[in-house]
Amino acid sequence: MKFWLVLFALLMGCSSVTEKKTLSENIHIDVEELKLDNGLTALIVRNPKLPIFSLQLFYKVGGKNEVPGITGASHFLEHMMFKGAKKYGKSTMDFIIEGSGGSTNAYTTNDQTVYYENLPSTQLEKILDIESDRMENLLLDEDDFNKEREVVLEERKMRYENSPRGQLYLEMMQTLYKGTPYGRSVIGDIPDLKSVSREQIFKYFKRFYAPNNATLILVGDVDISEAKSIIKEKFGKISSSPSVEEAHKELKEEDFAPKWTIHQTLAKKGESPNPLFMLAFPTYKAGHPKGYSLDVLSSIIGSGKSASLINQYILIEKPIATSMYSAHQSLEKSGFFFVGGELVRGVKLPEFREDLIKRLGGFCDSEITERNIQKVKNNYLTGLYGGLDTNAGLGSFLGERQLIFNDWRFYKKELDMYEGVTVNDVKAVCKEAFSKPSVFVSVWNMHK
Amino acid sequence: MKKIITISLLSLLSTAAMGASFLDSVNRTKWGDLDVVWIEDNKFPRFNAAIYFQDGSLSDPFSGLTQGTFDQISSGTSKESEREISEFFDFYGADLKHTVTHEYSVYSVQGLTKDIGPVMGKVCELFSDAQYPQKELVSYVSRSKSRLKNLVTSHSALADRIFRQISLTETPYAVPVEGTLATFDKLNPVGLKERLSELNNAKKVLYLTGPSDIKKLEEVITKKCNWTAKSSYKNLVLKKPSSQSAIYLIPVPGANQAQIRIGRYVIPDEIKGKYDHFSFLAGFLGGGFTSKLVQELRVKRGLTYSAGAYVSMQRDYGRAGIMTFSKNESAAEAISIIRDIFQDVTAKKFTPEEFKHQQGHQIGGFSFTFEETHAFLSQIMLYDHQQRDLKELVNYPELIASLTPEALSQANLEAFPWERLTIVVVGDKSLEKSLSRIRPVRILNYQDYL
Repeated sequence: MKFWLVLFALLMGCSSVTEKKTLSENIHIDVEELKLDNGLTALIVRNPKLPIFSLQLFYKVGGKNEVPGITGASHFLEHMMFKGAKKYGKSTMDFIIEGSGGSTNAYTTNDQTVYYENLPSTQLEKILDIESDRMENLLLDEDDFNKEREVVLEERKMRYENSPRGQLYLEMMQTLYKGTPYGRSVIGDIPDLKSVSREQIFKYFKRFYAPNNATLILVGDVDISEAKSIIKEKFGKISSSPSVEEAHKELKEEDFAPKWTIHQTLAKKGESPNPLFMLAFPTYKAGHPKGYSLDVLSSIIGSGKSASLINQYILIEKPIATSMYSAHQSLEKSGFFFVGGELVRGVKLPEFREDLIKRLGGFCDSEITERNIQKVKNNYLTGLYGGLDTNAGLGSFLGERQLIFNDWRFYKKELDMYEGVTVNDVKAVCKEAFSKPSVFVSVWNMHK
Repeated sequence: MKKIITISLLSLLSTAAMGASFLDSVNRTKWGDLDVVWIEDNKFPRFNAAIYFQDGSLSDPFSGLTQGTFDQISSGTSKESEREISEFFDFYGADLKHTVTHEYSVYSVQGLTKDIGPVMGKVCELFSDAQYPQKELVSYVSRSKSRLKNLVTSHSALADRIFRQISLTETPYAVPVEGTLATFDKLNPVGLKERLSELNNAKKVLYLTGPSDIKKLEEVITKKCNWTAKSSYKNLVLKKPSSQSAIYLIPVPGANQAQIRIGRYVIPDEIKGKYDHFSFLAGFLGGGFTSKLVQELRVKRGLTYSAGAYVSMQRDYGRAGIMTFSKNESAAEAISIIRDIFQDVTAKKFTPEEFKHQQGHQIGGFSFTFEETHAFLSQIMLYDHQQRDLKELVNYPELIASLTPEALSQANLEAFPWERLTIVVVGDKSLEKSLSRIRPVRILNYQDYL
């Protein structure tokens, strides 16, 4: 049986391997591509192991495409897309999907909105019909719209107002990207959510939810020629959006760069008896070569029990923190490196911040070693396998790359980049990142 | 609607055949005293080993001992420090996790197949030589207490913790597995080593998946782990839960939403032979967007973002429950609606289409059980623990297809009798007035449950 993912002997780690191959040569994904005249891109991967498949529809629209007054529009639409379209009518979609044994959901980020379904293979034609129906003829019923507004407001409370960790992340993004599209809340500002009209959302929908702004991914037990033919039939007739390209062009990279030049500190009152903090430094957008070294850096200092931050702040006799983490976040137009955690009570925040920045600088010399870099690469490999284990995981892996880089094959470049990262590369990005002005945000019930 | 929810006999037959073929792939063997269940999976060169210990926190003389034993197992051996041990596992990209429940514990390891020898060898060293150094233990206790004191930052997690303690009161299952502020200080190296020794002597089963060469692990395990199976599981017999007459309101600062938990504990006699009925019920009430709870609370009224239901069992106890949240001003309304749903389902006030829809949902979704081999193995582990025949797992679609609306109604009556359900609300103190219209309200201090 020809398997959908071919893996050969792997090089990374420390076992003996006789034949040398790069990681990108070891991982081959058999993808069938289809491009329709209206701009829709479809990627299909056959995996006949089980009679199931995953469909993911990536729209290149998210928080960054919104403007004041309609913040949260992409996320609001994420909810409304399940409320019905012309052919299938109101609120039938969930019933069709779940009634056949499937599941469905969606998520919205700063850069994209993704709708997905996991279904038995027998439902291929039906789900493609449903997805094309809501792309072409979403109902946006006024009553449903107003009812769903309440649900969105409850979700916002759950994620931010009632969650000190959510509050912390929101404050960090709003400080780091103040005055830029990334500084807006993806779920939307409360006044906008309360006032946005059905007409405003509909206009937004017509501009961004079109075939020339979407990538359709199918992974699973599907017949490729049949899938292609159904996709052409269902989506081929939908008109492309005449203004979406212009909308993307209007978003200039320089408009996303942080606008401040000195260290920023923000203390917010929130219902956390222990202080929560995030320290962020601006970096580079997704795909930038230095981004891969920054990813490695974030793992060395913040991932796993042996990470530098864990050893210096947590696994000590009198812990300063109960949790610490770091990550490098690559967005389409910008990026940032952050360290966060929960401190124990009694830690003085200004002193802690100063100490943390000093230690981070010190890590550039003490923690960037050959062994630590190899450790990160080994962990990356196990994480990669985990991520590709399901149809949905593989679909997401391909869709992300297609959407951001306009090329699903970009993963091969990324694997080569990771494999080629050296001690000097990581030391260089470490020194550069931690010498920049930073944003330090804390949430604590002792703040005024 | 009818057209889309017809259950095809053909699809039933094919899912049953698929289930049977997956069951055939499950191999059982013995390595010394250790039972081994393994499934070959050549998709990636990685392995997943989950060691099941038939011993959990019910054996603890105080809350948190077993959890602490696993949490701190890599804090030092006679040869290596905590840092050296973590460095070793992190270097190999090995992912170590553990779960402690009241009845059993699981230690799982995931890593690259080529490294299975050194990684599992080191795991064996931990189990045979963990020393629980005092310095590392002091740090662990300090962190655990600090984290627990901060649990109020997650109203949902706080509601779960308090709901367990109240709904299982007077049973040993009420005691939190993770420990309490009062018991963390009781942890000491001697007690932890003794507990580890008990775990080493408990019956164990290794659930293993990966390419065929993972079988070379046998030599490592039998030579290095020193595991025996001297002790056996002690069964517990619980009496049925008694009637409830109050709503427990737990005020927390700054809450603009109310977390709602409704349910009770279940004893095996209530569920035995009818697992499929209760599993179907949980899906009908709260499994997905089309479930009763989500339709009534979210879709029709916009009262919540999410709502779910569960009926789950270990071996000697189980739990039936509802979890949701709502605005402060609509919390009482949400509870009343949940009560009405229970009454309606018991009175069979649901349509044949709704019933068939749920059958289609559960039967059609059966194939997903097998998508991830390690997840399938985890399910087998639970069945083994419950001493259930795996045929029930593979015959699930047929069992669901043969269910009747009467069986659903009866299952609801048995799982959710309103007068025996505990109701816990974590939210603003002002909720007292509106909640008192449903039942008398007892106000509790969340700090008493930490």
